[in-house]
Amino acid sequence: MITFKNVSKIYPPNVVGVEGVNLHIEPGEFVSIVGQSGTGKSTLAKLLFAEERPTRGKIEIGGWDITAIRERDVPMLRRQIGVVFQDFKLLQKKTVYENVAFALQVASVRPKRIREVVPLVLNIVNLHDKAMRYPNQLSGGEQQRVAIARSLVHQPKVLIADEPTGNLDTLNAREIMDLLAKINEFGTTVVLVTHDREMVNRLKRRVITLEDGKISSDVEVGRYRL
Amino acid sequence: MLISVYRTMKFALQNFWRNFWLSFITLTMLVLTLVTVNILLVLNFMADQAIQAVEDRVEVSVYFHALTPQTTVDNAVTSLRVLPQVRDVATISAQESLEKFERRHAQDEMMMQSLEEIGGNPFGPSLVVKAQTVSDFEVILQALENPQFREDIREKDFSDYQDIVTRIKTVTDRVRTFGIVLSGIFLLIVVLVVFNTVRMGLFIHREEIGIMKLVGASNNFIRAPFLLEMILLSLLAIGVTLAILFPMLAILEPTFAVYVGGNSSGLVAHFTQNGLQIFGSQFLALILLTMISTSMAMRKYLKV
Repeated sequence: MITFKNVSKIYPPNVVGVEGVNLHIEPGEFVSIVGQSGTGKSTLAKLLFAEERPTRGKIEIGGWDITAIRERDVPMLRRQIGVVFQDFKLLQKKTVYENVAFALQVASVRPKRIREVVPLVLNIVNLHDKAMRYPNQLSGGEQQRVAIARSLVHQPKVLIADEPTGNLDTLNAREIMDLLAKINEFGTTVVLVTHDREMVNRLKRRVITLEDGKISSDVEVGRYRL
Repeated sequence: MLISVYRTMKFALQNFWRNFWLSFITLTMLVLTLVTVNILLVLNFMADQAIQAVEDRVEVSVYFHALTPQTTVDNAVTSLRVLPQVRDVATISAQESLEKFERRHAQDEMMMQSLEEIGGNPFGPSLVVKAQTVSDFEVILQALENPQFREDIREKDFSDYQDIVTRIKTVTDRVRTFGIVLSGIFLLIVVLVVFNTVRMGLFIHREEIGIMKLVGASNNFIRAPFLLEMILLSLLAIGVTLAILFPMLAILEPTFAVYVGGNSSGLVAHFTQNGLQIFGSQFLALILLTMISTSMAMRKYLKV
């Protein structure tokens, strides 16, 4: 599903983001990428949704070589990859429904289809009763669920969650992790980038640990060991 | 396709309203530029009409001696008519001149007595020669020096309009140059203002644009609202300019008509009949200009 072959990302003048990364993620896997701040976790995530291009190496997603993906093909890639961030990235002047629908609107999806899909994903994240609320009327956990709902509207094959619990309390963080696990159960490959020890240990799934931009361990059913 | 157009339009209108004062300033600059260009066109038209009105009055009256043979007069008419500088030659026979004189002075006893004392018809035939332009005077006067009929000409009378035309041209040329410079300055300001409007728009919408990119909006979908906003502003600018221009023309029309000596100067009619061409080309030019400026701003500030 996802393959990194000897991937390096060097930022000018000579700052290492990641170096010599080799990994393979199977379809339907739930993988946590852990490491301390500045070890290249977010760089790895950015390489996956083509926010950054590798300096060296090769990246493939679903057989698609995105190493030197053209600008005009990036939108197509992003419709196949859902992305969730620590800061939610919601539009404050739009309601929950509008925020989720926005992802479909910008992809020229027909209104009828939008009316069908949005309530479905809001049901999955259990926010159907708060569809008309604005982000500032929601808790942090709920806002993150809106972001997850938005990332799901294109029915992505891969969901990348970059520190999704970073701004949440333990209770909300657990809810989000449970939601990600539920999404993974539906068949979506989930790549979780985090430094939240408790969440990783709770999951009991594959853990890839980064140190100084390199993979220091890759364990099938791992724990956060740093 | 239609859905994309509708959504692009919606985002463009959102850009306009959320950025109202900046949009208003951009619109004002576009209107100022268009009004200046149109004032230039009005001035051009008025100058042409004024010069035409003067040139319509350009004529040379040629008086022949009494008893000049008709063949000599006909010779003169023929040789004048072949000149490209001559627009028209009217012949007034000696009898017509006499009748005209009698009609004009019918109430003037002294004149009529003098005419009686002279006895017979003291008038000779005459010609009224109309030139194409003021500068054709010289050629016509030279043609009248033809030895075939030169000796039969008693008097040549012409009014020198060259000076008036030159003065009209000098003044309009100066105003035109000033107008062109002013339009150029406004055009430059338009480019800068549009550039800045788009830059501000991108800044204000940076969060939205970031999310659009994140969820897979195409580059064209992100760029299109900014381009469309400028097309809408250009269209609005043309509309506002028309709303300013036509009442202005209607006010100018009667005053100018008196000046050129007619019931109507044709000012409003000119802009109405050629409206599609005049304002259509201005709209296209404005779109081209704003598109270039918008594209420049997006290339610099929008990384998609």
